[in-house]
Amino acid sequence: MRSVVEAAGTGNEEVCILDTEASPEHLSRGTARYADAMYVVVEPYYKSLETGRRMSVLGKDLGLERVALVANKIRDDHELDAVREFATANELAIAGVIPYDERLPEAERAQRAPLDFAPSSPAVEAIERFARGVVGDE
Amino acid sequence: MKLAIAGKGGSGKTSISGTMARALGRTGRHVLAIDGDSNPNLALTLGLSPEAMNGMPTLTREMLRRTEAGAELAQPLEQICESHSIEAPDGVTLLVMANPEHAGTG
Repeated sequence: MRSVVEAAGTGNEEVCILDTEASPEHLSRGTARYADAMYVVVEPYYKSLETGRRMSVLGKDLGLERVALVANKIRDDHELDAVREFATANELAIAGVIPYDERLPEAERAQRAPLDFAPSSPAVEAIERFARGVVGDE
Repeated sequence: MKLAIAGKGGSGKTSISGTMARALGRTGRHVLAIDGDSNPNLALTLGLSPEAMNGMPTLTREMLRRTEAGAELAQPLEQICESHSIEAPDGVTLLVMANPEHAGTG
């Protein structure tokens, strides 16, 4: 998989997005360039945060320039604070915050893309803003 | 720019990856989306129908060649995309790594 991602930078595709479980079986350690950044998606409860922490460590071990968290399915400030505290304690930045949005599981049940099913829903708009921020459009 | 979106199953990373890919495609960029999950679902969040995914080939071991540094592509990526990718809306090209029939549970 890494060889595909490495080759992607030399093609005419400008952005390569790899959706990965980021487990040690899927990624191997080494010095070769794997990606410009890894964004680790976490939910505001302990098991998810702890898994995210392990993935972040793996990303840093791979030598990635940027490893940061995306706080997903956030319902309120209490949940956001929980992610923030964990991030600070583990020296991780939060690159994006996506609100909890029932339209996303609805889109999945309808077997449609969230962007097509609910284009102006809060989570979709937050993901779009996050994407633009990552590539530097805003 | 190469971005890895990581997370455990159920974290929502696939909805985020797919929506990001479509959003960036709409800016006029060429986007290559790679589904690296053992249980691949990125096609759905990109807006591809289950019918469109029927019979879509996934990358095979023959496409890789072992070297000292690890594995490298035996064919140019463009060639692999020609035969193994599928076009999603907004200029997104999808490559799927795993065959879901061979995936483990979960």
